[in-house]
Amino acid sequence: MNTLSTKQTFRLRGYRTVLLPIAAILILWLLSGGAEAADKKIPRLPGGKPDFSGIWQTTSAADYDLEPHSNRKDAPPGPGIIEGHYIPYLPSALEQKKKNFESRATNDPAVKGFTLGVPRGIYYPEPFQIFQRKQDLTLVHQFGHSVRTIHTDGTEHPEDPYDWWLGDSRAHWEGDSLVVDVKHFNDKTWLDRAGNYHSDALHVVENWKFLDPNTIAYKATIEDPNVYSRPWDISVILHRHLEKDFQLIEDYRFTLDYDQYYPPKPDAK
Amino acid sequence: MRSKLIQRVLGVPGLMVTALSLASQLALAADENKAQPEQKPAAQQQQGSGISRETRFPKIESGKWKGPRTHDGQPDVQGHWSNTISNHSNFTDPQGGIPNDPNPNRIPKGPREERAPSRVSDPADGQVPFQPWALEKVKEFQVKFHNPTEPQFIEPLARCAPAGIPKSLYWHGYEINQYPGYVVFLFNSGTRIIHLDGKPHLPDNIKLWNGDSRGHWEGNTLVVDVSNQNGKALFGRTGEFISENGHVEERYIFNNDGTRYNYEAVFTDPTVYTRPFTVTIPAKRWTAEDKPNGWHFETTLAKHSGKEPIIDRDERICAENNGGFGLGAEESKK
Repeated sequence: MNTLSTKQTFRLRGYRTVLLPIAAILILWLLSGGAEAADKKIPRLPGGKPDFSGIWQTTSAADYDLEPHSNRKDAPPGPGIIEGHYIPYLPSALEQKKKNFESRATNDPAVKGFTLGVPRGIYYPEPFQIFQRKQDLTLVHQFGHSVRTIHTDGTEHPEDPYDWWLGDSRAHWEGDSLVVDVKHFNDKTWLDRAGNYHSDALHVVENWKFLDPNTIAYKATIEDPNVYSRPWDISVILHRHLEKDFQLIEDYRFTLDYDQYYPPKPDAK
Repeated sequence: MRSKLIQRVLGVPGLMVTALSLASQLALAADENKAQPEQKPAAQQQQGSGISRETRFPKIESGKWKGPRTHDGQPDVQGHWSNTISNHSNFTDPQGGIPNDPNPNRIPKGPREERAPSRVSDPADGQVPFQPWALEKVKEFQVKFHNPTEPQFIEPLARCAPAGIPKSLYWHGYEINQYPGYVVFLFNSGTRIIHLDGKPHLPDNIKLWNGDSRGHWEGNTLVVDVSNQNGKALFGRTGEFISENGHVEERYIFNNDGTRYNYEAVFTDPTVYTRPFTVTIPAKRWTAEDKPNGWHFETTLAKHSGKEPIIDRDERICAENNGGFGLGAEESKK
């Protein structure tokens, strides 16, 4: 303020006389619940928690490669979805990742129709549907028709369970954000088509939040001391499918190799 | 961390290559034997172990729903359910063992009328009204199933395919969840999403293991129209089937105290059957009061700070064959 000339100060005061009433109106609007009304637009369960029910899909190319990459024959170019761009692999793990990359055409579990895991199922380029109740969210992924339950009933991870393809998901609400702690994974899934991977020590913390009624900001922190030198973060945007009569179409693609043998047909004459 | 060997009825001993799989198969055979009462066929629910072996079950009439409702007004039937008479060994003689079974432990005991009735409730003879060619295929399957030398004699469920309709209802226990516009069945092998919003069925040429389901509530009865089936899921180890031209009209009739429902469905398929027929499958509810078991109620109690019991359920995934056939051996090494 000291550096302002008298004229400038005067001018600023002039602005103030205009701005102050606007600010006052804005504050009054906020106090009267204007912001709350805007916030109410996101769908909510009867109890008031955000309701993520719906069919969602990302438009990102994350599944081709989480890291930034140029084009290649089996992938479009992409900026990646990792904060800081690159996965902080331990040196030995980076070697394994390179091997995975070389063999991706045959060794990517998705090519075999395997369950995609967490978080890959979220940014895989096929729709998934969220069914939500007070006590849980059930995610059905079109790919493989995999089913994942996220518990929101205050229960905790089991102490020493089996390893699971989709891990064990226990969540709590932080305001309008759903925070999901996922662990007890097996080591059979990859994170993307480029061979980025994890061990059975994988730990994922997800954050789901509406940007608007038809858009979710999905973030995840990925931790695995066997594979990475530190936790790292990803974020993708999920869009609601709004097409008329849109629905998931069952895709148990791991059956395709033997589909031809069923059902019985009349013998050829 | 432990690795999971999911217990399943593989039913293809000729192709089971690992000792672990074989062990679970034998354990199963012993379990089935134990669960089957030798002198008292009237002995019914064996809670805590084995497969339920109810021989008779009550008729439930369609009518008004007087029980609780969900927020969106549906009769609230959410929870854990299973069939009450047997699993998928035999479709028309549910407690009669598998036809041509070389395992003497599983030979049916007692006269037919002391065992549960056929799941085919109409026609009265309890048999699927197959066209001659289809009946021949079923009989061939019943012989070759025990030592399958060709792929079509392997029960697709043993390869982790979805159990389909109607077998999902008498495979392991399952969960019914309800949401505005939906009833969702979470089966041990596959998931069925029943759409209640009246949207049209998928186009005819899309064929699915569980078909495409449109439902609505009529009082205590969930009425579901199923089309778009791929016809690949067999009805049991007895090999009955429907084709991709088949159509099923299902009625899930719930009693008003929420403890049971009967499934009554009309199967129509001019390619395979000579006339429509009705399938009836009784079901009962399981609650936190029940002791978990390895068949109908595969649950644990969740860890939490409150006092009320909250039921937890493992993820539903057919792990050893999560991929093409043959991965079972690889899975059990870990």
